[in-house]
Amino acid sequence: MRIILLLALLLFAPQLVLAQGYIDVTAPASRKLKIFVAPTSLPGEAAPQVGQELSELFGFDLGLAGPFEISPRDAGMAGADLVLKSAYSVQGGGVTLECRLVDQVLNREVTAKRYTGGARELRRMAHAFSDEVLRAVTGQKGPFTGKIAYVTKASGNKEVFVMDYDGRNPQRVTNNGSINLKPDFAPSGKEIIYTSYKKGNPDLYRRELFTGLEARISSRPGLNAMGAFSPDGSKIALVMTKDGNSEIYLIGRDGKELARLTNSHAIDVSPAWSPDGSRIVFVSDRLGKPQVFIMDADGGNVRRLTANGAYNVTPRWSPKGDRIVYARKEGSGFQIYAINPDGTQDTQLTSAGSNEHPRFSPDGRFVVFSSTRSGSEGVYLMRADGTSQTRISPSNGQDSHPTWSGNM
Amino acid sequence: MRKKIIGCLVVLSFGALFTGGCAKKDVVRSEEPISAVQTAPPTAQTTPAEVARPAQPVQPAQEARPEAQGGATAQPMTETTPTREPAVAQEAPKAGQAAKAPAAELQAELQKIYFNFDSADLSEESRGVLSKNADYLSKQPSVKVRIEGNCDERGSDDYNMALGERRAKAAKDYLVNLGIASDRLATISYGEEKPVDQGHDEAAWAQNRRDEFVIVK
Repeated sequence: MRIILLLALLLFAPQLVLAQGYIDVTAPASRKLKIFVAPTSLPGEAAPQVGQELSELFGFDLGLAGPFEISPRDAGMAGADLVLKSAYSVQGGGVTLECRLVDQVLNREVTAKRYTGGARELRRMAHAFSDEVLRAVTGQKGPFTGKIAYVTKASGNKEVFVMDYDGRNPQRVTNNGSINLKPDFAPSGKEIIYTSYKKGNPDLYRRELFTGLEARISSRPGLNAMGAFSPDGSKIALVMTKDGNSEIYLIGRDGKELARLTNSHAIDVSPAWSPDGSRIVFVSDRLGKPQVFIMDADGGNVRRLTANGAYNVTPRWSPKGDRIVYARKEGSGFQIYAINPDGTQDTQLTSAGSNEHPRFSPDGRFVVFSSTRSGSEGVYLMRADGTSQTRISPSNGQDSHPTWSGNM
Repeated sequence: MRKKIIGCLVVLSFGALFTGGCAKKDVVRSEEPISAVQTAPPTAQTTPAEVARPAQPVQPAQEARPEAQGGATAQPMTETTPTREPAVAQEAPKAGQAAKAPAAELQAELQKIYFNFDSADLSEESRGVLSKNADYLSKQPSVKVRIEGNCDERGSDDYNMALGERRAKAAKDYLVNLGIASDRLATISYGEEKPVDQGHDEAAWAQNRRDEFVIVK
């Protein structure tokens, strides 16, 4: 049993575990680990609903993650492989959340953290421990403290918002009454770029989320759209039409033009980087209909990626570099597919409603996307293999173009 | 910065209760301050008053639906150019109102043109409309026009941003060939962001795949 091996390694040689002993949770045949989320200890004046909120949050995070099966609340610790214990307390102006993950079989603590902060940061603290549980069990931290930037039409026009990954805590980023499109996070998670018509032309803006400071960094005539930060944050791939046709360029963080990457009579749009920054995947109709292509980051060595489907668009590379998600037009809507960068293993991931704008979570475990399956367009996420498709934005919203930041 | 949180991760001492001395110790380290995303201070935020809104053309109150409507249900992908009726009576002056400015009269004359799905090709009909638009523009050489390219909702919105630009430029090139000075004609793409018909059928899509000609001065 792999888990016994893991536990033995944990017990006797933690360093060795870090190097090689994690459970291979990506193997389809792996048995799920049963995890019981114990009721939160709530001493003193703590509000009782906190326990319910934490229980639901841990269950949602870890249930989505993949390697776990959440034990029913009334089952208790019986039969559980792991138990998540938490204690919440209030003192002064702040709260403290102490969390432990205990291996129930060997009655041994796997990891433990204490978080302190304002009461409004409680959910963030709990998501941070979900991240830590995934790190402790799989060797790779979870993405649950990342934020999702998206576009919402809730106020009638398209504005950029940021929310927690689970749809909570939506925060307005733009408020200009114009059309605001295609947010993309800097790798730091502290800045976004987006395109806005607020000064008439579709220009590219770079904005610090924490201070609200903003600069218009590209306002060339025509489109300045679909900006995508390079993995090191130093450059932005951008679609511009200043030279007469939509082409892909590289600009600096300050907007200075660094290179023109495409030069064709066709429409070239939707650039996205490979995680090592060496290649760019993009969409072109140079062979007739829109298809996905890959080029080197200097514009050379262009080759077509997608061979199936008549209309394939909006590709994004996985953080590990092993997969590319994109949307294929089927009928009057779209479906999300994933393909290897060499063109093999082209796999359909969605089928209900119309699904667009896929992007990986920063750890590659999930794909976040827009879907119309329940009527109004909303932000959804699923595991990278297409399972556990879940709506996270409000059911009555008009939300689209999600993008998931790294942990801030 | 408000809502600052001191996030410190420490080893829980009672971990030792379970494992004696074997518990793995985490190094105490401080974490990045956590903060809610804040909206910009007023000075950094563009207020609606400052937003340069493009002038909206007055839409015909009841534009003729294309005859493609009948076939729309059977063949949603049918590519059909809608027929147009002259944009008459769209801004009938109220009784007693002063005579319209020449630019407003010209705006009323400038007709939209329509496109097939995923195409920026000018149909024969569109070329006819452009010729008329060129006639009107040539009579008022001081007037400048912004050509706004638009798409229907079915394509990729990224791709449609570029396609709308291409549609606007196709009309501009044609007007320039008919003798209208290039510097009188600006172009902009709204992709699929400004539909005139919010419907989700071929009739709506056909109305939305269009160029509009908006007088800017």
